[in-house]
Amino acid sequence: MTDKETQMVTEKRVDIQVNGQACEITVPAWRTLLEVLRELGHKEVKCGCEKGDCGACAVLLDGKVVDSCLTLAWNAAGRSVTTVQGLGGPDNAHPLQTAFIEHGSAQCGYCTPGMIMAAKALLDDIPEPSLKDIKRGLSGNLCRCTGYTRIFSAIQAAAETLREQETTS
Amino acid sequence: MNRIESPAAGTANLQLRQVGKPLVRTDSPTKVYGTAVYAGDLTMPGMLCAAVLHSDRASALLRHVDTSRAEALAGVHCVLTAADLPPSQGVMTDMPGQTGGLTKNTKQPILAKDRVRFCGEPIALVAAENAAIAEQALRLIDIEYEDLDGIYDPFDALAPGAPIIFGDDNVVASYKVRKGDIEKGFAEADFIVENTFTTQYQEQAFLEPEAALAWVDEHEVLNIRSSTQVVEHYRAVADAIGLPHNRVRLRAEFVGGGFGGKEVMTIEVWLALLALASRRPVQLVQPRERSFLSHGPRHPFTMTHRTGVSGDGKITALQIKLTSDAGAYAKLSPYILLYATVGATGPYRVDNLHIDSVSAATNNLPACAFRGFGTMQANLACEGQMEEIAKLLGLDSMEVRRRNFIHTGDANVTGQIIRSAVWSDQCATQALAALGERPTDTQTTRIGHGVACYQQSYGRIRWMKDSSEAWVGVEMDGTVIVRSAVTDIGAGQSSALAQITGEILGVPMDQVVVYFGDGAVTPLAGTSTASRALYMSGNATKMAASQVRKNLLGCVAGYFGVKIEQLDMCDSQVFIIDDPQRSIALKDCVKLCAAEGVHRHNLAIFRAPTSEGIDPETGQGEVFPDFTYGAHAAQVAVDIETGEVKVLKSIGAHDVGQAINLRAVEGQVEGSALMGQGFALCEELILKQGRLQTGSLSEYLIPTSEDVPEIKAIVLESRSGLGPFGAKGIGEPVYAPVAASIANAVADAIGVHIFELPITPEKVIKALREKESTK
Amino acid sequence: MLPPFELLEPHSLDQALKMLATSESVPLAGGTNLLPDLRARGEAGGRFISLAALDQLHGIEHSDSRVLMGARTTLSDILHDPLMPTAAPSLVSMAKVFAGSMVRNAATVAGNICYGSPSADVVPPLLSLDAELTLASAAGERTLSLNDFLLDYKKTARRPDELLISVAWAPPTTATANLFYKLGRRRGDAITVVGVAVTITIENGNCTKARIALGSVAPTVFRAQEAEEALVGGPLTATTIGTAAQAAAQASRPIDDIRASADYRRHAVHMLVRRLLTEAWQTAGSQHD
Repeated sequence: MTDKETQMVTEKRVDIQVNGQACEITVPAWRTLLEVLRELGHKEVKCGCEKGDCGACAVLLDGKVVDSCLTLAWNAAGRSVTTVQGLGGPDNAHPLQTAFIEHGSAQCGYCTPGMIMAAKALLDDIPEPSLKDIKRGLSGNLCRCTGYTRIFSAIQAAAETLREQETTS
Repeated sequence: MNRIESPAAGTANLQLRQVGKPLVRTDSPTKVYGTAVYAGDLTMPGMLCAAVLHSDRASALLRHVDTSRAEALAGVHCVLTAADLPPSQGVMTDMPGQTGGLTKNTKQPILAKDRVRFCGEPIALVAAENAAIAEQALRLIDIEYEDLDGIYDPFDALAPGAPIIFGDDNVVASYKVRKGDIEKGFAEADFIVENTFTTQYQEQAFLEPEAALAWVDEHEVLNIRSSTQVVEHYRAVADAIGLPHNRVRLRAEFVGGGFGGKEVMTIEVWLALLALASRRPVQLVQPRERSFLSHGPRHPFTMTHRTGVSGDGKITALQIKLTSDAGAYAKLSPYILLYATVGATGPYRVDNLHIDSVSAATNNLPACAFRGFGTMQANLACEGQMEEIAKLLGLDSMEVRRRNFIHTGDANVTGQIIRSAVWSDQCATQALAALGERPTDTQTTRIGHGVACYQQSYGRIRWMKDSSEAWVGVEMDGTVIVRSAVTDIGAGQSSALAQITGEILGVPMDQVVVYFGDGAVTPLAGTSTASRALYMSGNATKMAASQVRKNLLGCVAGYFGVKIEQLDMCDSQVFIIDDPQRSIALKDCVKLCAAEGVHRHNLAIFRAPTSEGIDPETGQGEVFPDFTYGAHAAQVAVDIETGEVKVLKSIGAHDVGQAINLRAVEGQVEGSALMGQGFALCEELILKQGRLQTGSLSEYLIPTSEDVPEIKAIVLESRSGLGPFGAKGIGEPVYAPVAASIANAVADAIGVHIFELPITPEKVIKALREKESTK
Repeated sequence: MLPPFELLEPHSLDQALKMLATSESVPLAGGTNLLPDLRARGEAGGRFISLAALDQLHGIEHSDSRVLMGARTTLSDILHDPLMPTAAPSLVSMAKVFAGSMVRNAATVAGNICYGSPSADVVPPLLSLDAELTLASAAGERTLSLNDFLLDYKKTARRPDELLISVAWAPPTTATANLFYKLGRRRGDAITVVGVAVTITIENGNCTKARIALGSVAPTVFRAQEAEEALVGGPLTATTIGTAAQAAAQASRPIDDIRASADYRRHAVHMLVRRLLTEAWQTAGSQHD
């Protein structure tokens, strides 16, 4: 680092809940949430553009979906982050995950973690989304393989499952 | 001759239990749970981060490259320039992975030495403690350029007196096709239709930028784990840096999209050099902007068709000129031009034919492989021309197509006899029918319907002498392993092998584990390119599994005292077909084999048909193993005031031979529908004096969820292909007609054809104005 | 990767204004413009003031005569506000086509305005609503119209020590139509080629007020005032609408860029202004039927 940069380094301890687990990391102001999550081992958060064009790094921050590449780690301090692994896994799959598997919504799979988080935020917001709502909800998540159609159908199916769970619980 | 007349033909596969079904792909859960590992996700203790310095001049002498300030930066482990490289000074960028046949000499410098030929050419490599230091080191490398005149247009490059960028004359490749009697054909024509079509650069824009990790292990083997379509690059890495082939191990992780962009070697050799120099593991993940510079986009083409037609729409003569912009290095341009040449007449039989094609070097980005590999550009011109002919003759364009379709048993452009089914008509008819009724025009919108057919090869060029190996074995508990070095680039390559093996051995596919993509320990399968992975590795896997089945059933036949033909396998049981109660569990069957010393595994090799090239004067000869046929249809609404085009419906109908996984096939059709829409309407790499103006995903626009029309896949199965169970390759074919169908739909809507892609709102308005002024 | 920079984190507006007054720094809200810019430049050394903790900048207040929107209101907040579809229809139409949902959750109204880009989509709707901005500094507050705020390409009237703290406008009456259209090179998440917002008030069959705001066709978003004047005082006819559309196109000073040529942009302005005015006349006029 140059002298100028060395002087500027002001690191800060940041506490973040990631998928329910308390994490503590000391980082400078310019470190993004994406970088921090990946350093913490959350490799499911993908990096595709680093400037908010592709959505591969989308996570929930206090329930709202954000591009973690455009979120400074300092701004995530004291807040809770959910990644696709926090949503569920083989033993406790979220209906969105089950639907993505059954509908064949993942091809190369690189956009999938971010896509699922955007879909989760969408369903939290609009439990009965129209196709138009779904298209609007995903317009910041690029997919190059699928043509999105199976992603749409999986989200519609998951929405139905979630509504059924809601009424039976 | 295997002439198949109708969709009813080929009923041999109807007993299939898994193949053809829309089963869950084996790679789906891990991708959906976020546990799938991509090359950029790997870490190792002591790992360094790499960064690459790309030229910001398109044509210049490198007067001086000074890395001393970068090297002095704390945390920098090594900085490499051309001066530090081994004497071989180049990396083979010819058709990767081939084991037979001749290669062209298309070596490209690993790092620019003395001169840069395109804006983005790599000049220096850095390995440092972390990515931030590596980036900072790049800024401390001092370069003194001396600008040279550049050429940015292939026609300028071919003009006499042009500065030389490649060879003696800037010609990277050229082909000639001479067939029939063209003068006679034109003399017989009632009309002659001539048009020139152009296409733009298209960027693969896979979501995962290039990423790899390299290190030297305890056995002095250089290991590379990479996002690549081709593990056989280990040989090219070894040759480039002077290591024996058996000292380089290349493994492909799940690839986050390839589409041809990860076919020619991208970053592997850079990491190999850095790992050797630093003796540390080194990882590179290209930032998106540098990803645009690290692989070759689709070639821009200029295509002129001069077509002689009789009054009833029959083509009597066709003269075609194709020119592609290769950019600064050859890469795969010669082969891509060959594909374009063979595909230049689309799915039509033309007996009197001249084709002259040339690929010229410029100081633009070197173009390379991209889904369709030249065929889709050539097809676009062909299908646009069909519409123009129909318009001139006042005929329905499908009628014109029908009068000219190639049929099974006919000779194609290069005189190769088509042996599999040609269902162009059925596919086009079904796709058009699925468009349904036209919505009515409004005051400001015009509705258009368009269709396009195609002929696209699958499998590699015959003189590559292509082969693929696969190993299948049954474990003692009755579970199954497949080993194949096939790379899994997202289309379900490894899952298909599980499904095929499960079918043959009567095991649910989720009990089959496929080890894939390891150049050292899985049998080499060739590349996941050229729509060949399923065709080649599917066949090899089916052969290996069938041999294992034969061995297992042989033991059981002895055990029950019946013939092998009386036995079948299903649900991990072996049973007597006529007496299913008499059965034996697969795991017990395996024990029988083990006790008798019978092989429970098999290594098979599948060889594609081969030939020795084409006649250079006439272009005649057998070029490809086989071809896929089908059609795409589109319904568009054009806003005649703003020129905006909205695709309403997008329907692909294809004869896939035999679907292995129906859902995966439909996924290919759907994905190609949107990628082709992007090519038709909004995707365009714009270069200005060789410098990229659209080098990020906010300037280079691929379609979003908001751009998605109603998409439908119609899957037809002739079971006439050369792949397993009669499958044909589909990854590229399903993409081939999409852009043409949209261009044709726009022409239908506004009554005038736009010959230059992409069809931007601006070009629509211009076309409408010109139409108005010529009235 | 972002280059090193300094980030100050005030906990109150006063503290933030003091920091702005005493240190050369730039307010950082959603970061959806500034962070990509920083990354592209790659130069270390900037200083930013995070507005993340300034809760008083959040929130939207509606009254009969005035909508007051805190400067940290995000594009998502606009979409989630139940009264916004009547308080600023054009703003809602705009927010629906603004970037993607992650960026809509982060990007703020103030950030989009202060960035000063000609393609800032938030601006045409607010300009068409005669929005006023309140800027605060350690020395006090001042209010000025959005129209006066926009000076030139990426140049605004904000002094370096000032912070945009709120945006206000009078909600349109039922006799007013307020429309927005964004023309891009694709439908989702695209930089605007031409953005048009119009506000038309019809009273007793006559147009009493007209606003036409144009984005991406000049160094800054601007009002086509000559076009507006052509509309006021009578009913909107095909002729007056055509005259206004023509005037709007003529007032545009677009450039050629990778997205479109200047010629095309002028043409699109003409067409879209005509279309939106026609629609506005029909909707606002029908309120009286």
